[in-house]
Amino acid sequence: MDLTATSPSLEGVMLDYEMRREQALQMGGARKLERRRVDGVLNARERLQLLCDPDSFIESGLFGASSSNPMDRSRTPADGKITGFGRIDGREAAVSANDFTVMGASSSSTNGRKIAHLKRVATQRGLPIVFLGESSGARMPDHMGSHGMGTLLGNDPAQYQRMRETPWVSATLGCSYGSSSWYSVLSDFNVMRKGSVLAVSSPLLASMATGEAVDPEELGGWRVHAEVTGFADMVVDTDEQALAAVKAFLSYLPSHHRSEPPTCAVSAGSGEQMGRILELLPESRTQVYDVRRIVRAIVDKDSYFEIKARFGRVATTGLARLDGHSIGVIANNPLVKGGAMDTDACEKITSFLVLCDSFNIPVVMFVDTPGFLIGAEAEKRRAPGKIMNFMNALSLTTVPKLSVILRKSYGQAYLNMGGGRNSDEVAAWPTAEVSFMDPQFGVRIVHGLEPGAPGYDSAYADMNRDSRVWDMAATHAVQSVIRPRDTRDYLIRMLQVHRSQLSGGIGAHLMRAWPTSF
Amino acid sequence: MKNCEIKSEVTGSVWKIMVVPGQKVQAGESLMIIESMKMEIPVVLEDPGTVVELRVAAGDSVSEGAVVALVAM
Repeated sequence: MDLTATSPSLEGVMLDYEMRREQALQMGGARKLERRRVDGVLNARERLQLLCDPDSFIESGLFGASSSNPMDRSRTPADGKITGFGRIDGREAAVSANDFTVMGASSSSTNGRKIAHLKRVATQRGLPIVFLGESSGARMPDHMGSHGMGTLLGNDPAQYQRMRETPWVSATLGCSYGSSSWYSVLSDFNVMRKGSVLAVSSPLLASMATGEAVDPEELGGWRVHAEVTGFADMVVDTDEQALAAVKAFLSYLPSHHRSEPPTCAVSAGSGEQMGRILELLPESRTQVYDVRRIVRAIVDKDSYFEIKARFGRVATTGLARLDGHSIGVIANNPLVKGGAMDTDACEKITSFLVLCDSFNIPVVMFVDTPGFLIGAEAEKRRAPGKIMNFMNALSLTTVPKLSVILRKSYGQAYLNMGGGRNSDEVAAWPTAEVSFMDPQFGVRIVHGLEPGAPGYDSAYADMNRDSRVWDMAATHAVQSVIRPRDTRDYLIRMLQVHRSQLSGGIGAHLMRAWPTSF
Repeated sequence: MKNCEIKSEVTGSVWKIMVVPGQKVQAGESLMIIESMKMEIPVVLEDPGTVVELRVAAGDSVSEGAVVALVAM
Protein backbone atom coordinates (compact mmCIF):
# COMPACT_ATOMS: atom_id res chain seq x y z
CA MET A 1 0.00 0.00 0.00
CA ASP A 2 1.32 3.44 -0.93
CA LEU A 3 0.85 5.57 2.21
CA THR A 4 2.07 8.76 0.52
CA ALA A 5 -0.51 8.66 -2.28
CA THR A 6 -3.31 10.37 -0.27
CA SER A 7 -1.17 12.69 1.86
CA PRO A 8 -0.91 16.32 0.72
CA SER A 9 2.56 17.75 0.47
CA LEU A 10 3.93 19.84 3.34
CA GLU A 11 3.59 22.83 1.10
CA GLY A 12 -0.04 21.97 0.51
CA VAL A 13 -0.68 21.69 4.25
CA MET A 14 0.86 25.09 4.79
CA LEU A 15 -1.09 26.64 1.93
CA ASP A 16 -4.27 25.24 3.45
CA TYR A 17 -3.27 26.69 6.83
CA GLU A 18 -2.64 30.14 5.39
CA MET A 19 -5.96 30.08 3.55
CA ARG A 20 -7.89 29.09 6.69
CA ARG A 21 -6.07 31.73 8.72
CA GLU A 22 -6.82 34.38 6.14
CA GLN A 23 -10.52 33.42 6.19
CA ALA A 24 -10.66 33.50 9.99
CA LEU A 25 -9.26 37.03 10.01
CA GLN A 26 -11.85 38.28 7.51
CA MET A 27 -14.49 38.85 10.20
CA GLY A 28 -17.96 39.35 8.69
CA GLY A 29 -16.71 40.40 5.26
CA ALA A 30 -15.76 43.59 3.44
CA ARG A 31 -19.32 44.93 3.02
CA LYS A 32 -20.22 44.84 6.73
CA LEU A 33 -16.84 46.23 7.73
CA GLU A 34 -17.20 49.09 5.25
CA ARG A 35 -20.63 49.96 6.67
CA ARG A 36 -19.13 50.30 10.14
CA ARG A 37 -16.34 52.47 8.79
CA VAL A 38 -18.90 54.79 7.17
CA ASP A 39 -20.80 54.93 10.47
CA GLY A 40 -17.59 55.93 12.27
CA VAL A 41 -17.58 52.79 14.42
CA LEU A 42 -14.44 50.70 14.87
CA ASN A 43 -14.52 46.97 14.16
CA ALA A 44 -13.50 44.40 16.76
CA ARG A 45 -9.92 43.97 15.52
CA GLU A 46 -9.39 47.73 15.27
CA ARG A 47 -10.59 48.04 18.86
CA LEU A 48 -8.11 45.38 20.00
CA GLN A 49 -5.33 47.15 18.15
CA LEU A 50 -6.07 50.42 19.94
CA LEU A 51 -6.44 48.76 23.33
CA CYS A 52 -3.32 46.60 23.32
CA ASP A 53 0.30 47.70 23.09
CA PRO A 54 1.72 47.29 19.54
CA ASP A 55 2.32 43.65 18.53
CA SER A 56 1.41 42.37 21.99
CA PHE A 57 -1.96 40.75 21.19
CA ILE A 58 -1.76 36.97 20.92
CA GLU A 59 -5.00 35.35 19.89
CA SER A 60 -6.49 32.27 21.51
CA GLY A 61 -9.21 30.55 19.52
CA LEU A 62 -8.80 32.09 16.06
CA PHE A 63 -10.06 28.90 14.39
CA GLY A 64 -13.13 28.58 16.59
CA ALA A 65 -16.36 28.38 14.60
CA SER A 66 -19.97 27.35 15.04
CA SER A 67 -20.14 23.89 16.56
CA SER A 68 -23.93 23.61 16.54
CA ASN A 69 -24.34 23.85 12.82
CA PRO A 70 -21.48 22.69 10.52
CA MET A 71 -23.09 24.65 7.64
CA ASP A 72 -22.39 27.86 9.58
CA ARG A 73 -18.66 27.23 10.02
CA SER A 74 -17.56 29.22 6.99
CA ARG A 75 -19.80 32.13 8.11
CA THR A 76 -18.50 32.27 11.68
CA PRO A 77 -14.85 33.38 11.70
CA ALA A 78 -13.51 33.22 15.28
CA ASP A 79 -17.14 32.41 16.08
CA GLY A 80 -17.90 36.11 16.48
CA LYS A 81 -15.89 36.69 19.66
CA ILE A 82 -12.19 37.44 19.34
CA THR A 83 -10.33 36.39 22.46
CA GLY A 84 -6.72 36.43 23.55
CA PHE A 85 -4.09 38.16 25.62
CA GLY A 86 -2.40 41.50 25.17
CA ARG A 87 -0.40 44.04 27.10
CA ILE A 88 -2.18 47.20 28.17
CA ASP A 89 0.31 49.93 29.04
CA GLY A 90 2.90 47.22 29.58
CA ARG A 91 0.79 44.89 31.73
CA GLU A 92 -0.65 41.53 30.64
CA ALA A 93 -4.44 41.33 30.30
CA ALA A 94 -7.02 38.91 28.93
CA VAL A 95 -9.21 40.50 26.27
CA SER A 96 -12.45 39.61 24.54
CA ALA A 97 -13.75 41.70 21.64
CA ASN A 98 -17.19 40.90 20.28
CA ASP A 99 -17.27 40.95 16.47
CA PHE A 100 -20.76 42.19 15.61
CA THR A 101 -20.16 41.55 11.89
CA VAL A 102 -20.20 37.80 12.55
CA MET A 103 -23.78 36.81 13.31
CA GLY A 104 -24.18 39.84 15.56
CA ALA A 105 -21.48 38.46 17.90
CA SER A 106 -24.21 36.19 19.22
CA SER A 107 -23.35 33.83 22.06
CA SER A 108 -22.74 30.26 20.97
CA SER A 109 -21.29 27.04 22.24
CA THR A 110 -17.78 27.59 20.87
CA ASN A 111 -17.42 31.25 21.76
CA GLY A 112 -18.77 30.42 25.23
CA ARG A 113 -15.85 28.01 25.58
CA LYS A 114 -13.45 30.70 24.39
CA ILE A 115 -14.67 33.13 27.06
CA ALA A 116 -14.53 30.41 29.73
CA HIS A 117 -10.90 29.66 28.79
CA LEU A 118 -10.03 33.35 28.97
CA LYS A 119 -11.56 33.66 32.42
CA ARG A 120 -9.83 30.51 33.65
CA VAL A 121 -6.40 31.72 32.53
CA ALA A 122 -6.97 35.24 33.84
CA THR A 123 -8.06 33.96 37.24
CA GLN A 124 -5.25 31.38 37.55
CA ARG A 125 -2.49 33.71 36.35
CA GLY A 126 -3.72 36.97 37.84
CA LEU A 127 -4.64 39.03 34.78
CA PRO A 128 -7.35 41.69 34.45
CA ILE A 129 -10.08 40.89 31.89
CA VAL A 130 -11.42 43.42 29.40
CA PHE A 131 -14.75 42.78 27.68
CA LEU A 132 -15.43 44.88 24.58
CA GLY A 133 -19.17 44.28 24.44
CA GLU A 134 -21.48 44.41 21.46
CA SER A 135 -23.83 41.47 20.91
CA SER A 136 -27.29 40.64 19.66
CA GLY A 137 -27.66 38.06 22.46
CA ALA A 138 -27.97 34.29 22.23
CA ARG A 139 -27.44 32.74 18.77
CA MET A 140 -30.58 31.44 17.12
CA PRO A 141 -31.65 28.78 16.42
CA ASP A 142 -28.71 27.15 18.25
CA HIS A 143 -30.29 27.79 21.65
CA MET A 144 -33.79 26.64 20.72
CA GLY A 145 -35.35 23.53 22.14
CA SER A 146 -34.25 21.34 24.98
CA HIS A 147 -31.12 20.30 23.07
CA GLY A 148 -30.05 23.92 22.77
CA MET A 149 -30.81 24.68 26.38
CA GLY A 150 -29.19 21.47 27.55
CA THR A 151 -25.92 22.13 25.79
CA LEU A 152 -25.52 25.90 25.70
CA LEU A 153 -26.78 28.72 27.90
CA GLY A 154 -24.91 29.02 31.16
CA ASN A 155 -24.43 25.29 31.72
CA ASP A 156 -21.00 26.09 33.10
CA PRO A 157 -21.75 27.01 36.73
CA ALA A 158 -18.81 29.47 36.81
CA GLN A 159 -19.94 31.34 33.69
CA TYR A 160 -21.37 34.28 35.64
CA GLN A 161 -19.53 33.78 38.92
CA ARG A 162 -17.67 36.78 40.29
CA MET A 163 -15.14 36.39 43.08
CA ARG A 164 -13.05 39.47 42.25
CA GLU A 165 -9.71 37.65 41.96
CA THR A 166 -8.78 40.04 39.13
CA PRO A 167 -10.31 43.29 37.86
CA TRP A 168 -12.96 43.03 35.13
CA VAL A 169 -13.50 46.01 32.86
CA SER A 170 -16.19 46.42 30.24
CA ALA A 171 -16.81 48.80 27.37
CA THR A 172 -20.35 48.84 25.99
CA LEU A 173 -19.80 49.72 22.34
CA GLY A 174 -23.06 49.19 20.50
CA CYS A 175 -26.12 46.97 20.91
CA SER A 176 -25.38 44.86 23.95
CA TYR A 177 -27.90 42.20 24.89
CA GLY A 178 -27.77 38.88 26.74
CA SER A 179 -24.34 37.78 27.94
CA SER A 180 -22.72 40.98 26.68
CA SER A 181 -24.83 43.01 29.12
CA TRP A 182 -24.29 40.40 31.85
CA TYR A 183 -20.51 40.90 31.63
CA SER A 184 -20.92 44.68 31.64
CA VAL A 185 -22.79 44.65 34.95
CA LEU A 186 -20.51 41.97 36.42
CA SER A 187 -17.50 44.19 35.74
CA ASP A 188 -15.80 46.58 38.15
CA PHE A 189 -16.02 49.38 35.62
CA ASN A 190 -18.26 49.80 32.58
CA VAL A 191 -17.76 52.65 30.13
CA MET A 192 -20.62 53.23 27.70
CA ARG A 193 -20.34 54.89 24.32
CA LYS A 194 -23.27 57.16 23.46
CA GLY A 195 -25.57 55.45 20.98
CA SER A 196 -25.06 52.06 22.62
CA VAL A 197 -27.90 50.13 24.18
CA LEU A 198 -27.42 47.84 27.19
CA ALA A 199 -30.41 45.64 27.99
CA VAL A 200 -31.52 42.10 28.79
CA SER A 201 -32.83 41.71 25.25
CA SER A 202 -33.31 43.70 22.07
CA PRO A 203 -35.99 46.43 21.70
CA LEU A 204 -37.68 44.19 19.10
CA LEU A 205 -37.99 41.25 21.49
CA ALA A 206 -39.01 43.59 24.31
CA SER A 207 -41.78 45.09 22.17
CA MET A 208 -43.00 41.64 21.13
CA ALA A 209 -43.12 40.58 24.80
CA THR A 210 -44.95 43.69 25.98
CA GLY A 211 -47.04 44.46 22.89
CA GLU A 212 -45.82 48.07 22.98
CA ALA A 213 -43.32 49.97 20.88
CA VAL A 214 -40.02 50.14 22.75
CA ASP A 215 -37.59 52.98 22.19
CA PRO A 216 -33.98 51.69 22.32
CA GLU A 217 -32.69 54.76 24.19
CA GLU A 218 -35.45 54.42 26.79
CA LEU A 219 -34.86 50.68 27.08
CA GLY A 220 -31.15 50.91 27.76
CA GLY A 221 -29.53 54.04 26.37
CA TRP A 222 -26.69 55.91 28.00
CA ARG A 223 -28.89 58.34 29.93
CA VAL A 224 -30.83 55.47 31.53
CA HIS A 225 -27.67 53.74 32.67
CA ALA A 226 -25.69 56.85 33.64
CA GLU A 227 -28.51 58.51 35.59
CA VAL A 228 -31.08 55.90 36.63
CA THR A 229 -29.49 52.44 36.96
CA GLY A 230 -25.87 53.47 37.53
CA PHE A 231 -24.71 50.62 35.25
CA ALA A 232 -22.68 53.09 33.17
CA ASP A 233 -19.72 54.16 35.28
CA MET A 234 -18.67 56.60 32.57
CA VAL A 235 -20.15 57.86 29.30
CA VAL A 236 -18.09 58.83 26.25
CA ASP A 237 -18.75 59.91 22.67
CA THR A 238 -16.45 57.60 20.69
CA ASP A 239 -14.94 54.11 20.67
CA GLU A 240 -11.49 55.65 21.00
CA GLN A 241 -12.48 57.53 24.17
CA ALA A 242 -14.01 54.34 25.60
CA LEU A 243 -10.77 52.39 25.08
CA ALA A 244 -8.78 55.24 26.64
CA ALA A 245 -11.12 55.09 29.66
CA VAL A 246 -10.54 51.33 30.01
CA LYS A 247 -6.79 51.91 30.07
CA ALA A 248 -7.09 54.82 32.48
CA PHE A 249 -9.24 52.78 34.91
CA LEU A 250 -6.79 49.86 34.84
CA SER A 251 -3.86 52.20 35.53
CA TYR A 252 -5.17 52.67 39.09
CA LEU A 253 -5.68 48.94 39.75
CA PRO A 254 -3.38 46.03 40.46
CA SER A 255 -3.48 43.10 38.03
CA HIS A 256 -4.94 40.87 40.74
CA HIS A 257 -6.16 40.89 44.34
CA ARG A 258 -2.89 39.64 45.83
CA SER A 259 -0.97 42.65 44.60
CA GLU A 260 -0.83 46.35 45.45
CA PRO A 261 -1.85 48.90 42.78
CA PRO A 262 0.96 50.25 40.59
CA THR A 263 2.54 53.57 41.51
CA CYS A 264 3.51 56.31 39.14
CA ALA A 265 5.41 59.58 39.10
CA VAL A 266 3.71 62.52 40.82
CA SER A 267 2.32 64.85 38.17
CA ALA A 268 3.89 68.30 37.98
CA GLY A 269 1.93 71.00 39.77
CA SER A 270 0.39 68.63 42.33
CA GLY A 271 -0.59 70.44 45.50
CA GLU A 272 -0.03 73.89 44.03
CA GLN A 273 -3.60 74.98 44.94
CA MET A 274 -3.33 73.96 48.60
CA GLY A 275 -2.47 77.46 49.80
CA ARG A 276 -5.81 78.73 48.49
CA ILE A 277 -7.98 75.71 49.28
CA LEU A 278 -10.12 77.53 51.83
CA GLU A 279 -11.28 79.85 49.03
CA LEU A 280 -13.17 76.85 47.60
CA LEU A 281 -15.35 76.65 50.72
CA PRO A 282 -18.19 79.24 50.93
CA GLU A 283 -18.11 81.77 53.76
CA SER A 284 -21.61 80.75 54.94
CA ARG A 285 -22.11 77.30 56.44
CA THR A 286 -25.45 76.92 54.67
CA GLN A 287 -24.19 77.65 51.16
CA VAL A 288 -23.39 74.93 48.68
CA TYR A 289 -20.24 74.31 46.63
CA ASP A 290 -18.73 71.64 44.39
CA VAL A 291 -16.58 69.38 46.56
CA ARG A 292 -14.85 68.00 43.45
CA ARG A 293 -12.85 71.23 43.25
CA ILE A 294 -11.49 70.51 46.73
CA VAL A 295 -10.79 66.86 45.85
CA ARG A 296 -8.93 67.86 42.67
CA ALA A 297 -6.83 70.38 44.59
CA ILE A 298 -5.76 67.77 47.16
CA VAL A 299 -4.97 64.74 44.96
CA ASP A 300 -2.16 64.57 42.39
CA LYS A 301 -2.85 67.00 39.57
CA ASP A 302 -5.30 65.73 36.92
CA SER A 303 -5.50 62.31 38.60
CA TYR A 304 -9.16 62.37 39.73
CA PHE A 305 -10.99 59.73 37.69
CA GLU A 306 -14.64 60.10 38.63
CA ILE A 307 -16.88 57.02 38.57
CA LYS A 308 -20.68 57.22 38.17
CA ALA A 309 -20.51 61.03 37.87
CA ARG A 310 -24.17 61.30 36.79
CA PHE A 311 -25.60 58.80 39.32
CA GLY A 312 -26.19 59.51 43.02
CA ARG A 313 -24.65 62.96 42.51
CA VAL A 314 -25.03 63.97 46.17
CA ALA A 315 -21.74 62.14 46.58
CA THR A 316 -18.75 61.83 44.30
CA THR A 317 -16.66 58.67 44.04
CA GLY A 318 -13.52 58.20 42.03
CA LEU A 319 -10.01 56.86 41.79
CA ALA A 320 -7.09 59.23 42.21
CA ARG A 321 -3.44 59.31 43.16
CA LEU A 322 -1.77 60.81 46.19
CA ASP A 323 2.00 61.09 45.91
CA GLY A 324 1.78 58.62 43.01
CA HIS A 325 -0.21 55.98 44.95
CA SER A 326 -3.77 54.92 44.02
CA ILE A 327 -6.53 55.93 46.39
CA GLY A 328 -10.32 55.76 46.29
CA VAL A 329 -12.09 59.02 47.06
CA ILE A 330 -15.58 59.23 48.56
CA ALA A 331 -16.87 62.75 49.17
CA ASN A 332 -20.26 64.25 49.92
CA ASN A 333 -21.10 66.89 47.34
CA PRO A 334 -23.09 69.80 48.81
CA LEU A 335 -23.59 71.12 45.26
CA VAL A 336 -26.42 68.58 44.84
CA LYS A 337 -29.22 68.53 47.42
CA GLY A 338 -26.84 70.12 49.92
CA GLY A 339 -24.93 66.84 50.10
CA ALA A 340 -27.80 65.05 51.90
CA MET A 341 -27.34 61.38 51.05
CA ASP A 342 -30.00 59.50 49.10
CA THR A 343 -30.38 55.81 48.28
CA ASP A 344 -28.59 56.11 44.91
CA ALA A 345 -25.57 57.58 46.70
CA CYS A 346 -25.65 54.72 49.22
CA GLU A 347 -25.52 52.17 46.40
CA LYS A 348 -22.80 54.07 44.59
CA ILE A 349 -20.60 54.33 47.68
CA THR A 350 -21.22 50.71 48.67
CA SER A 351 -20.13 49.38 45.28
CA PHE A 352 -17.12 51.71 45.33
CA LEU A 353 -16.04 50.46 48.77
CA VAL A 354 -16.29 46.87 47.47
CA LEU A 355 -14.09 47.81 44.50
CA CYS A 356 -11.43 49.54 46.61
CA ASP A 357 -11.31 46.85 49.28
CA SER A 358 -11.17 44.01 46.75
CA PHE A 359 -8.14 45.52 45.01
CA ASN A 360 -6.13 46.96 47.91
CA ILE A 361 -6.88 50.61 47.22
CA PRO A 362 -6.89 52.79 50.38
CA VAL A 363 -10.04 54.87 50.90
CA VAL A 364 -10.11 58.59 51.69
CA MET A 365 -13.44 60.17 52.67
CA PHE A 366 -14.22 63.90 52.64
CA VAL A 367 -17.25 64.65 54.78
CA ASP A 368 -19.77 67.46 54.40
CA THR A 369 -23.32 66.20 54.75
CA PRO A 370 -26.37 67.38 56.68
CA GLY A 371 -27.42 63.70 56.93
CA PHE A 372 -29.42 61.12 55.02
CA LEU A 373 -32.40 62.33 53.01
CA ILE A 374 -35.47 61.17 54.86
CA GLY A 375 -39.17 61.02 54.02
CA ALA A 376 -41.73 58.71 52.43
CA GLU A 377 -39.92 58.59 49.11
CA ALA A 378 -36.65 57.52 50.74
CA GLU A 379 -38.42 54.76 52.67
CA LYS A 380 -40.05 53.46 49.48
CA ARG A 381 -36.59 53.29 48.00
CA ARG A 382 -35.56 51.05 50.91
CA ALA A 383 -33.36 53.64 52.61
CA PRO A 384 -32.74 51.62 55.81
CA GLY A 385 -31.48 48.65 53.80
CA LYS A 386 -29.26 50.80 51.59
CA ILE A 387 -27.84 52.74 54.56
CA MET A 388 -26.99 49.52 56.36
CA ASN A 389 -25.44 47.91 53.25
CA PHE A 390 -23.22 50.97 53.05
CA MET A 391 -22.42 50.82 56.78
CA ASN A 392 -21.68 47.10 56.66
CA ALA A 393 -19.45 47.56 53.62
CA LEU A 394 -17.50 50.23 55.47
CA SER A 395 -17.10 47.98 58.52
CA LEU A 396 -15.84 45.12 56.31
CA THR A 397 -13.38 47.35 54.46
CA THR A 398 -9.90 46.26 55.51
CA VAL A 399 -7.79 48.61 53.38
CA PRO A 400 -6.70 51.83 55.14
CA LYS A 401 -9.62 54.24 55.62
CA LEU A 402 -8.97 57.88 56.37
CA SER A 403 -11.68 60.50 56.78
CA VAL A 404 -11.53 64.27 56.82
CA ILE A 405 -14.52 66.25 58.10
CA LEU A 406 -14.62 69.47 56.07
CA ARG A 407 -17.84 70.92 57.41
CA LYS A 408 -21.11 69.19 58.40
CA SER A 409 -21.34 65.64 59.70
CA TYR A 410 -24.71 64.76 61.18
CA GLY A 411 -26.54 61.77 62.63
CA GLN A 412 -26.11 58.28 61.20
CA ALA A 413 -24.32 59.82 58.21
CA TYR A 414 -21.49 60.75 60.61
CA LEU A 415 -20.89 57.03 61.15
CA ASN A 416 -21.37 56.04 57.49
CA MET A 417 -18.82 58.64 56.46
CA GLY A 418 -16.18 57.19 58.74
CA GLY A 419 -16.90 58.95 62.02
CA GLY A 420 -15.74 57.39 65.29
CA ARG A 421 -13.87 54.13 64.81
CA ASN A 422 -15.39 53.67 61.37
CA SER A 423 -12.21 54.94 59.80
CA ASP A 424 -8.65 54.29 60.87
CA GLU A 425 -7.91 57.95 61.36
CA VAL A 426 -10.34 60.87 61.58
CA ALA A 427 -9.17 64.38 60.89
CA ALA A 428 -11.27 67.54 60.87
CA TRP A 429 -10.87 71.01 59.53
CA PRO A 430 -11.55 73.73 62.13
CA THR A 431 -14.69 74.47 60.07
CA ALA A 432 -16.17 71.07 61.02
CA GLU A 433 -19.51 70.88 62.86
CA VAL A 434 -20.76 67.59 64.21
CA SER A 435 -24.04 66.77 65.93
CA PHE A 436 -27.00 64.43 65.84
CA MET A 437 -29.56 66.74 64.25
CA ASP A 438 -30.40 70.41 63.81
CA PRO A 439 -31.26 71.74 67.32
CA GLN A 440 -34.49 73.31 66.03
CA PHE A 441 -35.73 69.86 64.94
CA GLY A 442 -34.54 68.43 68.26
CA VAL A 443 -36.69 70.89 70.26
CA ARG A 444 -39.76 70.13 68.15
CA ILE A 445 -39.33 66.37 68.51
CA VAL A 446 -38.42 66.19 72.20
CA HIS A 447 -40.51 69.08 73.58
CA GLY A 448 -43.14 69.55 70.87
CA LEU A 449 -42.39 73.28 70.81
CA GLU A 450 -42.44 75.53 67.77
CA PRO A 451 -40.24 78.65 67.55
CA GLY A 452 -41.93 81.50 69.49
CA ALA A 453 -43.81 79.17 71.89
CA PRO A 454 -43.29 79.68 75.65
CA GLY A 455 -40.27 77.67 76.81
CA TYR A 456 -38.89 77.27 73.30
CA ASP A 457 -35.85 79.47 73.86
CA SER A 458 -34.62 77.64 76.96
CA ALA A 459 -35.28 74.26 75.36
CA TYR A 460 -33.37 75.39 72.26
CA ALA A 461 -30.44 76.60 74.38
CA ASP A 462 -30.29 73.19 76.07
CA MET A 463 -30.44 71.35 72.75
CA ASN A 464 -27.98 73.65 71.00
CA ARG A 465 -24.80 72.03 72.36
CA ASP A 466 -21.54 73.11 70.90
CA SER A 467 -21.22 71.35 67.54
CA ARG A 468 -17.75 72.71 66.80
CA VAL A 469 -14.99 70.15 66.62
CA TRP A 470 -13.09 70.97 69.83
CA ASP A 471 -15.08 68.72 72.18
CA MET A 472 -14.46 65.80 69.82
CA ALA A 473 -10.75 66.56 69.69
CA ALA A 474 -10.61 66.80 73.49
CA THR A 475 -12.04 63.29 73.82
CA HIS A 476 -9.85 61.92 70.97
CA ALA A 477 -12.97 61.09 68.91
CA VAL A 478 -11.13 62.88 66.11
CA GLN A 479 -7.44 62.25 66.17
CA SER A 480 -6.33 65.42 64.36
CA VAL A 481 -7.60 68.90 63.64
CA ILE A 482 -5.67 70.12 60.64
CA ARG A 483 -5.19 73.32 58.67
CA PRO A 484 -7.05 72.93 55.37
CA ARG A 485 -3.89 73.82 53.45
CA ASP A 486 -2.05 70.90 55.13
CA THR A 487 -4.64 68.28 54.05
CA ARG A 488 -2.63 66.87 51.15
CA ASP A 489 0.55 66.47 53.22
CA TYR A 490 -1.43 65.02 56.13
CA LEU A 491 -3.08 62.39 53.93
CA ILE A 492 0.16 61.40 52.18
CA ARG A 493 1.94 60.91 55.50
CA MET A 494 -0.98 59.18 57.21
CA LEU A 495 -1.39 56.72 54.33
CA GLN A 496 2.26 55.80 54.73
CA VAL A 497 1.60 55.11 58.43
CA HIS A 498 -1.53 53.05 57.77
CA ARG A 499 -0.21 50.87 54.95
CA SER A 500 -0.60 47.37 56.25
CA GLN A 501 2.98 46.23 56.83
CA LEU A 502 1.77 42.87 58.14
CA SER A 503 0.11 41.85 54.90
CA GLY A 504 2.25 43.78 52.45
CA GLY A 505 -0.64 46.14 51.72
CA ILE A 506 -3.10 43.36 50.87
CA GLY A 507 -6.59 43.55 52.37
CA ALA A 508 -8.72 40.65 53.66
CA HIS A 509 -11.26 40.98 50.77
CA LEU A 510 -14.25 40.16 52.92
CA MET A 511 -16.64 41.45 50.22
CA ARG A 512 -15.12 39.60 47.28
CA ALA A 513 -18.39 37.75 46.67
CA TRP A 514 -20.70 40.74 47.22
CA PRO A 515 -23.10 41.65 44.42
CA THR A 516 -21.73 43.58 41.46
CA SER A 517 -24.72 45.90 41.52
CA PHE A 518 -27.16 46.73 44.31
CA MET B 1 -37.07 78.00 21.42
CA LYS B 2 -39.48 76.16 23.70
CA ASN B 3 -40.74 76.45 27.25
CA CYS B 4 -38.91 74.08 29.59
CA GLU B 5 -40.15 73.03 33.01
CA ILE B 6 -37.61 73.74 35.72
CA LYS B 7 -37.96 71.40 38.68
CA SER B 8 -36.82 71.45 42.29
CA GLU B 9 -34.40 68.63 43.02
CA VAL B 10 -35.29 68.63 46.72
CA THR B 11 -38.25 68.83 49.06
CA GLY B 12 -38.12 72.09 51.04
CA SER B 13 -39.42 75.63 51.16
CA VAL B 14 -38.73 78.50 48.78
CA TRP B 15 -36.43 80.90 50.63
CA LYS B 16 -35.59 83.50 48.02
CA ILE B 17 -36.46 84.20 44.38
CA MET B 18 -33.81 86.02 42.37
CA VAL B 19 -35.50 86.49 38.99
CA VAL B 20 -38.69 87.97 37.52
CA PRO B 21 -40.67 86.88 34.45
CA GLY B 22 -39.11 88.19 31.26
CA GLN B 23 -35.60 88.19 32.73
CA LYS B 24 -32.77 86.63 30.70
CA VAL B 25 -30.75 84.13 32.72
CA GLN B 26 -27.29 82.76 31.94
CA ALA B 27 -26.26 79.09 32.20
CA GLY B 28 -25.16 78.35 35.76
CA GLU B 29 -27.22 81.22 37.22
CA SER B 30 -29.72 80.55 40.02
CA LEU B 31 -33.45 81.21 39.66
CA MET B 32 -34.23 80.77 43.34
CA ILE B 33 -33.00 79.15 46.52
CA ILE B 34 -34.84 76.31 48.23
CA GLU B 35 -34.20 75.75 51.91
CA SER B 36 -33.89 72.05 52.72
CA MET B 37 -32.06 70.19 55.50
CA LYS B 38 -31.01 73.68 56.72
CA MET B 39 -29.05 74.14 53.50
CA GLU B 40 -29.51 76.69 50.73
CA ILE B 41 -30.11 74.68 47.57
CA PRO B 42 -30.04 76.84 44.43
CA VAL B 43 -32.21 76.01 41.42
CA VAL B 44 -29.66 76.46 38.67
CA LEU B 45 -30.17 76.68 34.90
CA GLU B 46 -27.96 74.36 32.87
CA ASP B 47 -28.55 76.36 29.66
CA PRO B 48 -29.29 80.05 29.13
CA GLY B 49 -32.93 81.11 28.76
CA THR B 50 -35.65 83.64 29.51
CA VAL B 51 -37.97 83.27 32.49
CA VAL B 52 -41.56 82.85 31.25
CA GLU B 53 -43.39 82.09 34.47
CA LEU B 54 -42.67 81.52 38.15
CA ARG B 55 -44.85 78.78 39.65
CA VAL B 56 -43.88 79.41 43.28
CA ALA B 57 -43.43 82.34 45.68
CA ALA B 58 -41.14 82.84 48.66
CA GLY B 59 -42.34 80.76 51.60
CA ASP B 60 -44.06 78.09 49.49
CA SER B 61 -43.38 74.44 50.21
CA VAL B 62 -42.14 72.41 47.26
CA SER B 63 -41.63 68.70 46.84
CA GLU B 64 -38.89 66.94 44.92
CA GLY B 65 -39.59 67.13 41.20
CA ALA B 66 -42.15 69.94 41.50
CA VAL B 67 -42.15 72.44 38.63
CA VAL B 68 -41.02 75.80 40.03
CA ALA B 69 -40.67 77.83 36.82
CA LEU B 70 -41.05 77.82 33.05
CA VAL B 71 -38.04 79.02 31.09
CA ALA B 72 -37.86 79.56 27.32
CA MET B 73 -34.66 78.00 25.97
